Amino acid sequence: MAFDFFRKISRAPTNPRATVRPREFDVADLYRGPVADSDEREPVDTQLDEKLRQAYFWIVNKAIISPHYDIEYNDGPAQTFTVGDSKRVLTLPSGQSYSSYVLLPLLTFATRRKCLFVGGPGRGKTASAILMGVLAGASVREVRRAMQHGHPQMTIADLLGNPLPADLINAKDMAEIRIAWRSWLSMRVKIVDEYNRIPTRTQSALLTVMGDNYAEVLNQVFECPESAWFLTANDEQGGGNYQVIEALRDRIDVIVQALAFNPRFLEELLVRIEEEVRPEELMPPELIFTAEEVDAMGRDIRAVEVPEGVRRRLEFFASQFELAEMAGGQFEYMTKDTARLSGIAWHELAAADNGRDRMKDLGCQTRNGLSVRNLMTLLLYAKALAYFRGNAEVELEDLRQVLPFALHDKLQPDPDAPFFALPENAPYRTDRVSWLRRLFDLANDEYLRLDLDRTDAVGELAKQFALGLDGVGERDTRARLARIEKLIGELVKGRKLYGHLYDDLLKLKYLHQRYTNYLAWLRAQ
Amino acid sequence: MISQAFADVLAAGRNGFNHRVREAQRIFPAFRAEAFLRFLEEGVDGVAVAVEQVDRSRLPATVLAAYDVALELVGRSLVGPAARSQVLAEAWRGLFPRLARLITAHPTQVLGMLSNAITHIEGIAGARISQWTEEMTALAPHLETVEQLRIAGQVLAWRSGAAHFRAGAIAAAAALPEALALRAFGAGDWSSWQAFRNDVEHDPWWGDDDLHAMRERRVGSFSGFGGQFATPPEIRAAGEVFFVKSGDRYFLLIADAYGAVLQPAGADEFEHAIVVQPRFDYSLRDGMLRVGSRRIDLDVPEPGLAVCASAATIAIASPYTHAIRLLARGER
Repeated sequence: MAFDFFRKISRAPTNPRATVRPREFDVADLYRGPVADSDEREPVDTQLDEKLRQAYFWIVNKAIISPHYDIEYNDGPAQTFTVGDSKRVLTLPSGQSYSSYVLLPLLTFATRRKCLFVGGPGRGKTASAILMGVLAGASVREVRRAMQHGHPQMTIADLLGNPLPADLINAKDMAEIRIAWRSWLSMRVKIVDEYNRIPTRTQSALLTVMGDNYAEVLNQVFECPESAWFLTANDEQGGGNYQVIEALRDRIDVIVQALAFNPRFLEELLVRIEEEVRPEELMPPELIFTAEEVDAMGRDIRAVEVPEGVRRRLEFFASQFELAEMAGGQFEYMTKDTARLSGIAWHELAAADNGRDRMKDLGCQTRNGLSVRNLMTLLLYAKALAYFRGNAEVELEDLRQVLPFALHDKLQPDPDAPFFALPENAPYRTDRVSWLRRLFDLANDEYLRLDLDRTDAVGELAKQFALGLDGVGERDTRARLARIEKLIGELVKGRKLYGHLYDDLLKLKYLHQRYTNYLAWLRAQ
Repeated sequence: MISQAFADVLAAGRNGFNHRVREAQRIFPAFRAEAFLRFLEEGVDGVAVAVEQVDRSRLPATVLAAYDVALELVGRSLVGPAARSQVLAEAWRGLFPRLARLITAHPTQVLGMLSNAITHIEGIAGARISQWTEEMTALAPHLETVEQLRIAGQVLAWRSGAAHFRAGAIAAAAALPEALALRAFGAGDWSSWQAFRNDVEHDPWWGDDDLHAMRERRVGSFSGFGGQFATPPEIRAAGEVFFVKSGDRYFLLIADAYGAVLQPAGADEFEHAIVVQPRFDYSLRDGMLRVGSRRIDLDVPEPGLAVCASAATIAIASPYTHAIRLLARGER
């Protein structure tokens, strides 16, 4: 049937740019147009990033009703409107913008990471996860059967598999006990519905599969294929039957919220009821990704470059949060993690912290800093977003857009911080996405104020060191050591200690130590 | 009134056809049932009658395909009272029945191809769609396969003004039987396709005795009067083509004896063109452009004229009209 709204994919480029038009004109273009002819059903050699965008637009336009365009890009000035007594701003972006609820899961699919859907019941979290499973080539029935539904009685055997009863009786050795592994373990897209209803002990088994990609029962091991994970929870804080163990939460790379349904789209909902349409069952076969295509996409995404300017912004942002001056006696231990490990009450630590401008210091807004895993996730998703947008380099805006979803429950706000006491900042207590984006914007403002793109003395020294020490003589080494010491003297002179300065000083100490060791080696020759 | 045979097929599949209309109403907000019924009567019925005469057993499949294409065309306002032009509707009445043999064999493909081609050519500024449909109608009895139809359509599209299809059309025509290829090019007097191709391939301004081939073309004009250029165009030659800048927009300009076409281009391409632009010596005096011994009358004032040339074409842009005049560099 030529007429099938739900299976139709636009042949128009999803991200048109004037400069990428081929200069070799194809006369076959003459017959491309609004009417489908038999040629349209022939497979076309689509670039993987274009295919990913086609998948996105198919989901947004055909599968998900009422998408929210909360990942905003602008190609020029955006039209804005101030609305209501609260003076909230409605922005009409001038560039192609995206719905995080579709985009982040797709990027998770492309990078084979882990995404948590949160939101109230009946908002399409499970349906979206199923769409991702179908995108990987499984039938809806297979995806549904393989989906793990969290419940309070869920055992490790329910999750991973059972030993064969005959082997349990006859085996003389543990190695002889064969396990009937659950089929979901071999899926390329793994879905765990309501993971916060899983008992704590079973969560630990899940953690092994999620973290290390294997399952273990009675010393038998099942190696899982590389896969994307989609989990759902009604409450991201773990408010199900069981508290979600921290390590499991930490394995989740991004969190997306299912936003409210806009009743203005009720008519489309009505059509689905009347026509008995389930979009996940109608996904066009052209959009299905093979395992090899996902592998290739992963390689392409990792090859996307992060320019130095963008990387420096992330470095500066990440530097803001770990410092807790009063938590450590030695310079290296002045961190929030030191305080957390000691078990000291947070308010005691906060009360001891004085002298800094707690409103200006972004570090005062959080109770923790960023982990290496968080930073890796951020960089990978920023690359994936740039790839999705058809770019070979990450833009600052890519980083800004993925940051709130990657740090959603990773950067814990301190609600007692003076920042949140200001009336204009009150919404940030509840809207973590906006708070994190604001935090990044504030860090960028400070970065620009300090003019760090042009005057980064620490960066210059690091670059000089990165060139290598081959041929560097004793005299030069001493000069570099002196330069480091001089720079430290300048940086600490009469200044309060802020997060970025703390990390700069530690970096200088690192460089000083490397040159000191090198100097010792030179003198031993 | 529609023909009995067409009415019978519609009646036999009434529920299915009605369901398709409901689906189209949902997909296309602009879909109008009255316009659709009228198009079935005035456009599709003629095709059905012609197909019935070729092979009655293929009528239901053809009607089904034509019905779906018609839904799409009405839904997108490409035919009917809201359509920008009636060329496509007229082609369904005049041209399509002439191709009944091919439509009977491959209804979805041929109806889709032809509808798309007409829509495509209509969208090319300066292209002569009426020439394309007339020449295709004349060629229709000689077309025996869908592939021949496809290639002939491409050749005719070029000769109707789609200058960017020139190279592709000449290359594709090699697959046609010699007599059909020459006929598609309007070169029925020639006895050898190869000899004809050698001539036409090397000169964009080749035209022989073809009435549609000119030694001069014009493109653009002030956007305030419906043209493409908001500010006086800057032109740069690059190989056989030109890059044009007007305001913050960039274009690729391709011109030959049959037409001149503007395509979107990038700023980088325009900037790069300065590097490869060939040297062109000329002077402007007494209302004339002088290139070597050649004198070209100017129809616009000299001040502000921008002139450059590719190997085969001279381009003259005026700040008064924002139009670009393109002339064959060689004299016939």
